[in-house]
Amino acid sequence: MDFLESVDLKFGELVSLHDLYPSSPFFKHEASLRIIGKLREYSAEAAIATVADGNAVLKVNVEHLRDLTFQVGSVYQFIGELLIQPNNQGILQARVGRNVDGIDLNLYYQSFLLLRQFQADHLK
Amino acid sequence: MQNPVYNSHVKLLAFDLLSLTQTPSPSSSASNPVISFSLRGIPISRAETLGTVTYREYKPCKFLKFSIDDGTGLVNCILWLNQLTSAYFARRRSPPDVRLIAESAAHFADLIKLGVVARVRGKLTNYRGTVQITVSDVFIERDPNAEILHWLDCINLASKCYDVLPLARQQRNQKSDTCTSTSGLSNS
Repeated sequence: MDFLESVDLKFGELVSLHDLYPSSPFFKHEASLRIIGKLREYSAEAAIATVADGNAVLKVNVEHLRDLTFQVGSVYQFIGELLIQPNNQGILQARVGRNVDGIDLNLYYQSFLLLRQFQADHLK
Repeated sequence: MQNPVYNSHVKLLAFDLLSLTQTPSPSSSASNPVISFSLRGIPISRAETLGTVTYREYKPCKFLKFSIDDGTGLVNCILWLNQLTSAYFARRRSPPDVRLIAESAAHFADLIKLGVVARVRGKLTNYRGTVQITVSDVFIERDPNAEILHWLDCINLASKCYDVLPLARQQRNQKSDTCTSTSGLSNS
């Protein structure tokens, strides 16, 4: 991939798993997203991780993340593209991911609301 | 007017860095284009960014190109690795200095891997019209809260430092004057 093509590579927009419902503006096919959640299930065979934030759940395809170790109960962050399947379920095709055990999730969500506000104010 | 941040590594979120104003410098020529950068009216030359490495292109002994995703945009970075063969360095630095710089750059290149969270500092440069960072320093963050603290730092510095510098205030006042006179015209 040429560096100029990397310019076409999109950044992962910060979203909460609660933002990902069918009528949400973030719930779009191939939208580049950054999500965070606690690992609920992991299938090494299918390379699918299921992460959750409260009652919001998302499946993540982790076939490209060979170096990452998955532990149920740990918190993970993923950046990738949301693929909407024919049954209207979303699955994130992860490009990168990491274990973020120890993250302050309250601070994370409060800060990203502040960040959205700051961006909106400065892009006016 | 004095500008205390010109030589500082200004902490910027990607969306802010990508919207810097770029102006060709008076010393610029077609063969040697020199671009100056300003943030809401404040001339700046260096920046610091922090985020996840999502792209990496390595050419041994030449360069490492990579991208940092901070959740607000994608910052392209270039780390030069050609110091030992570069005439530019040979003219300006002693051989031991060049070796040290080359070793340091090679060490930074080893640290940059897909998925790591990196704090990167360097000079603002332009590549085919887009702002990029020519890297001088890399630090890998292991604290899972580092990105959050960087967002808060950037927001805090913008509101308490960068946006209240006299040059930024001057530009805001000019903008509001223009708006007032434009709205005056439309009302008349």
